[in-house]
Amino acid sequence: MALLEIRNLHASVAGEEILKGIDLSLDAGKVHAIMGPNGSGKSTLSKVLAGHDGYEVTAGEVLYKGRDLLELATEDRAREGVFLGFQYPVEIPGVANTYFLKAALNAIRKHRGEDEIDAMAFLKLIRERMKLVKMDESLFKRPVNEGFSGGEKKRNEIFQMAVLEPTLAILDETDSGLDIDALKTVSEGVNALRNPERAFLLITHYQRLLNYIQPDEVHVLVNGRIVKSGGKELAQELEQSGYALFEENAA
Amino acid sequence: MEAASEQKSVYLQEHEALPAVGPAWFMQRRRDAMAAFERQGFPDRRLEAWKNANLTAMTQQHFTAAAAGGVADGGLAAVAALVPEALRLVFVDGHFSTSHSDLSSLPTGLRVQSIASALAAGDSVLEAHYGRYAEVDTHPFAALNTAFAEDGVLIDVAPGTVVDMPVVLVFLAGDAVDGKAVYPRVLVRAGSGSEIRLVQHHAGTGTQAYVSCPVVELVVEANAGVQLQHLQEEAPKAWHLGVVHAELGRDARFNLHTVSTGARYGRTDVYVNLNGSGAQAAMNGLYLVNDGQHMDYHTWVRHRAEHGTSQQMFKGILDGKGQSVFDGMIHVAEGAQKTDSQQQNRNLLLSRRALARSNPRLEIYADDVKCAHGSTVGQLDPDALFYMRSRGIGEQEAKGLLTFAFANEVLESIALEPLREHVRERLFALLPGNETVRKLV
Repeated sequence: MALLEIRNLHASVAGEEILKGIDLSLDAGKVHAIMGPNGSGKSTLSKVLAGHDGYEVTAGEVLYKGRDLLELATEDRAREGVFLGFQYPVEIPGVANTYFLKAALNAIRKHRGEDEIDAMAFLKLIRERMKLVKMDESLFKRPVNEGFSGGEKKRNEIFQMAVLEPTLAILDETDSGLDIDALKTVSEGVNALRNPERAFLLITHYQRLLNYIQPDEVHVLVNGRIVKSGGKELAQELEQSGYALFEENAA
Repeated sequence: MEAASEQKSVYLQEHEALPAVGPAWFMQRRRDAMAAFERQGFPDRRLEAWKNANLTAMTQQHFTAAAAGGVADGGLAAVAALVPEALRLVFVDGHFSTSHSDLSSLPTGLRVQSIASALAAGDSVLEAHYGRYAEVDTHPFAALNTAFAEDGVLIDVAPGTVVDMPVVLVFLAGDAVDGKAVYPRVLVRAGSGSEIRLVQHHAGTGTQAYVSCPVVELVVEANAGVQLQHLQEEAPKAWHLGVVHAELGRDARFNLHTVSTGARYGRTDVYVNLNGSGAQAAMNGLYLVNDGQHMDYHTWVRHRAEHGTSQQMFKGILDGKGQSVFDGMIHVAEGAQKTDSQQQNRNLLLSRRALARSNPRLEIYADDVKCAHGSTVGQLDPDALFYMRSRGIGEQEAKGLLTFAFANEVLESIALEPLREHVRERLFALLPGNETVRKLV
């Protein structure tokens, strides 16, 4: 059984249908990339999977570990191991990264029936995971994402993922706007976290990310539908031909 | 209004029956204040500064002045002892209580005296300043206090004196204060180059319905600094109508930190007159408004000389059907060039039924000034909530953390640690998911 099974998923925002029947099957241990032009529904898909209440699912189903994902509250999805790396990480003035992450980690541990993490173990864990993304330790004391550069925000997403150790990581345009150094760091972070139990859904606008993270499968999303799936060579093809060809086919 | 004239007359009758308690100048200021009250009466909604105040339930009843000798139980002793290392003056029902107070270690250069004893001694500082500043002609409750106050405290800091220990003034609601009015009165004179930290703490815990009507006058002379930590935690059925009035000389510094959580109706008017060039005023406020409460801050900042700076940051958190008013007047007189004045008011509504009113008012008659103001009324950021929930943090805990963060900026600026902790506890009590938040922060 696949870790994530999306069947005929339709979703709307404010009455306008954005996802028009998505089918996708993602196994544990695999990395799938979803590529598509602006407005194709990439971010909508990620938000629907994470449980944003601004999106209405009008048809279809999503099974995660064989369970109906859509009936779970946002926080319960996270506690069950779903992680969304935000395209635009939110600034939270006044809430220190440390409180934020500790609250998140303890909520997940509690859900699993584990004790709250003690202060020393927490510190050790975050130091170790910060190194993974080469994040400056001073950022940890600062309010969540406040005053962070674009690159720092994206690193912070990967850092959070590294601490929370999700089973399914959905990374929504984590590569967008990154310079090559930051892109490499973020990619190395993702690669270091790959393991046979964990699956990644990489949502991206640019083929460049896939030079650093080797996907098992690539899907092309156009106008709310996956119009083509294939191996990583599909990304190369896209790089050369652009989305225009697929857009014509979709229309 | 028939009812209003009737109310005036009962307070006037009460006033006329008061025994003489001081020298002629004192009695004259009281009579003048009473006359000023009579002219105004209790404010009604036709007055701009009171248009959102519903005082009907208070003005229909005659709250007579509370007598001395009241007793305050109900955990209030702990409130009085909140700041351990302090010079402490405790008032019950507005009257000085020697038994709770601790003035054993007054440092040189600091004079702390009950107003009654200063009157008896013919104190010249008292005569020079008492009742000279509070604006009895436009603020009916300043007038009422001045007409009825007969005890309180005079704090006189000699020029050049730096007082290390904070001076804590605790005003407790006595067990028998139901149906009474209390009129605490404070006069502070900080001589040139002196520095002092004060705490003004109003507390009540019982079910008494009473009117608390304090007036604090502060004269901050050249290059002196006064820090005032003001805490309004009256009993839930109380009416609190207070005035803090500061007069700042050249290069004087006034730092106000105020927190209001108590009373069914709690209003504090803060007047700051920057009379000397280079005077500085910084004010932080936090109001926590629960269901059924009405909290109100009116600030009146008048820049009257060059190079003055004033900063205001007031934040409100409202729950249930709580209501609040922030009304901030900044007046920059002609000639008060190079004034730098900032005012921010932010309100967070935790419930759809809460109502926060924010009313910045700027009157600027000088042409080379910096004045900025901002006001917001809103709910918790839904994007931040979603972000937190997407990391596994429960909705209530996320709301609690965000609310705490909103208030924390103001909380952190409370200089006295025991008071900061005390206010944090007040805040926690209001927060959703507060157990988680308490553990984290």
